[in-house]
Amino acid sequence: MKITGGKVYDPANGINGEVRDLHIVDGKFADNANGATGGREIDATGMIVFPGGVDVHTHVAGGSINFARAMTPEDHRRTQAFIRTQSRRSGLGGMAPTTFATGYLYAGMGFTTVNEAAVPALSARHTHEELSDIPIVDKSSCVLMANNEIMLDLMERGEYDRARDIVAWYVWAAKSYGVKAVNPGGVAAWKYGHDAKGMSTAIPGYNKLTPGDVVTQLARIIDDLGLPHPIHLHCNNLGAPGNVATTLETMKHLEGSRAHIAHMQYHAYGGDDWSTMRSESAQLADYFNAHPNMTTDAGAVLFGDTVTITADGPWQHLLYKLTGRKWGNLDVENETGCGIVPYTYKPSNLVNAVQWAVGLELLLLINDPWRVFLSTDHPNGACFWRYPEIIHLLMSNDFRQACMKKLTPAIKGKITLPEITREYTLYEIATIMSAGPARALGLRQKGNLGVGCDADVVIYEEDKDIERMFGHPRYVLKGGQVVIEEGDIRETPEGREFITRPSYNPDTEAFLKPIFEDCYTMSFENYPVEMERIEHPTMMDCVDVD
Amino acid sequence: MYWGGNPAECHPRHFTKYTLMQKSKFLPRGRKDRTMALVDIRATKSAKAADIFLQVRPGKDFEMITILRAMVKGESIPESQIAETGLSLETLEDLVARMKAAKFGAIFFGMGLSMTRGKHMNSAALLTLAAEMNAFTKFVAMPMRGHGNVTGADVIMRWQTGYPFGISFNRGYPRYNPGEFSTVDVLVRGDCDAAFIIGADPGATMPQPAIDHLAAIPTICLDPHVTHTSKLAKVHITTAPAGIAAPGTGYRMDEIPLPLKPALNSPYPSDEEVVRRINQAIAKMPDWMPEGEPPMVLSQV
Repeated sequence: MKITGGKVYDPANGINGEVRDLHIVDGKFADNANGATGGREIDATGMIVFPGGVDVHTHVAGGSINFARAMTPEDHRRTQAFIRTQSRRSGLGGMAPTTFATGYLYAGMGFTTVNEAAVPALSARHTHEELSDIPIVDKSSCVLMANNEIMLDLMERGEYDRARDIVAWYVWAAKSYGVKAVNPGGVAAWKYGHDAKGMSTAIPGYNKLTPGDVVTQLARIIDDLGLPHPIHLHCNNLGAPGNVATTLETMKHLEGSRAHIAHMQYHAYGGDDWSTMRSESAQLADYFNAHPNMTTDAGAVLFGDTVTITADGPWQHLLYKLTGRKWGNLDVENETGCGIVPYTYKPSNLVNAVQWAVGLELLLLINDPWRVFLSTDHPNGACFWRYPEIIHLLMSNDFRQACMKKLTPAIKGKITLPEITREYTLYEIATIMSAGPARALGLRQKGNLGVGCDADVVIYEEDKDIERMFGHPRYVLKGGQVVIEEGDIRETPEGREFITRPSYNPDTEAFLKPIFEDCYTMSFENYPVEMERIEHPTMMDCVDVD
Repeated sequence: MYWGGNPAECHPRHFTKYTLMQKSKFLPRGRKDRTMALVDIRATKSAKAADIFLQVRPGKDFEMITILRAMVKGESIPESQIAETGLSLETLEDLVARMKAAKFGAIFFGMGLSMTRGKHMNSAALLTLAAEMNAFTKFVAMPMRGHGNVTGADVIMRWQTGYPFGISFNRGYPRYNPGEFSTVDVLVRGDCDAAFIIGADPGATMPQPAIDHLAAIPTICLDPHVTHTSKLAKVHITTAPAGIAAPGTGYRMDEIPLPLKPALNSPYPSDEEVVRRINQAIAKMPDWMPEGEPPMVLSQV
């Protein structure tokens, strides 16, 4: 198969809008030389060719998003419906799309790989069942560890090596790809109605272990294990005015380790309370720019209705009290928790206006597009299918300035967005939506149009209307198969799941079993997800981390 | 707190495995470290296990919950309203004080609450009480589900269609309306011209008009046993019992999936295999959709 004449944007190979032909053999890009002829030829003359999009942080499968679906039938009724056809399943779009619709919506926007960012090991079986019902896209997942009480107890006792083995065991038991840390210590404390806000204050229920210790040790453990994706960290004190201090302190705890800071927008606020809340993205971006050990995703906010879901249980209780709307809380035994609150972001609300600006500011002030990625922390800041709106905001200063006129007048002096004139280029967009997140995830075969990589391609018609261009690609190819063409879904192949198997001391299970049986309600033997439950698993090797 | 449920007889492992007897890091003395309250209209066998039993007047659960919500917030309640519930002010004050003093409160509610006068309004009120208790201490609430793996059906319908039950696909996409699209309503109205029943025995539990309709139409039943439904079905396919002779997954009431490992072999196929083979046979038939592409997306905004 051949794609000819398109303007190719392939940041992984430094190709910036050159007209090139792409050759595909057996689902991978091939060299022109070894006779890659035959098959279909797509004439992409005048069109723009990107590697398929990669979402580094989204919530599309598992207990929490499924609870959100249950809580929002009123949204399902008003949203986009997918009608069953001979080749497609029916479903619903909206704030928390159903699984089949999730695959169609992502692919329809040119995304071919997604990372489900929060999986409790205890219900990982459920997450994998849902992931296998999301067609077209390839998937990876991160298992929640930072509030696992068995691990916290080991860290409290200073048993680092044992804690590392336990983390490795959980990653494999959950058939996961990476490790997510959410509000380290805070979700464990929430089991008793507390939180952990100070990085250097002992976690409630522990004598000396602090959230800072957990962050440092867990990041080091993940590097020692050589997981392809570094610690995926949701910092403490999310959403609170003045939380930039916590975020900066967290970043200091990460020095010497790799780290991915999730949805940084929610962690970049100054001020003392809701009425004085302001953006501190400039300060955060400065620190971040100077510390190349980290990557981040924006967690940008767009105005409108959505449903917030996070493992950060105490924060969701606060959001429930602030909004008076529905609240769901799920505690996951001794592992983690989860909260769900429907939410509406309004430009007339100062806090929401600050959040909207901060997401864009971080994307514009962090100067290396290889280190900051497009995300809305779906569905928290906005639904993933609204990414084209963010791309529009990034590529057009005029549009940003026009949008800022709709913000509450109280915003004056609280954000730096009005002074930023930077506009993203197509090359930079290709970096933040594909090449960068693929590299951060350690998925070398993704976000890259080079020979041997997966032939995931999105082809756009050049269009002055940026949202239309990015929202309605002319063609999307997944593994060399045309899945979207002329605005319609042509094929719905099953995706793969990436998993890793870090090594651990062989006596780990003998050590863990009695502790496990003491505190879990499930039997030890039944706990690990069986390999045969993973649809199309692809093992990814661990890497050497300096 | 158990409300309108009788776990001693209906969920016999609940006390020992989850709520009362377990010793743990924070409750090392097990039962001695816990307080159990039971609210029900009569003293069931579960009352023996409870520290406090509150006998609410039948049909007055909603009133009692609403009064508790007000008391939790420090509102005063006219005595006549408290008297309606069949309980005294002192009893309710004691309950509220204990709830607030708990380190972690959990309310489990059964069909005695959710299927009696007030129905889903009762459940909503109780969930709100639990949510509001979090202003004082940690509190959660959870329904006590009946039937094997009803939670699993809920969970999967939700991820595939957005809704847990009562779903109609007759416009080609999922629509939800309990009371209209629930199985019993569809059957009583005689709206369906075929029925396919797996792992349930509506012939034993549904109202007579629904059963009559099932008997009148082609009903296909998958069940390991001979049941009321299988007897009235036109086709009964005997299947291997899940968890005993067929593998699979069961979702616990708290939506935790547990693998089912068969202990025995069965000469019969599993439900899954039967459904798969039926699907394969259907796939060979012409599609019901008329010629031409239907619209992919309906925008209802």
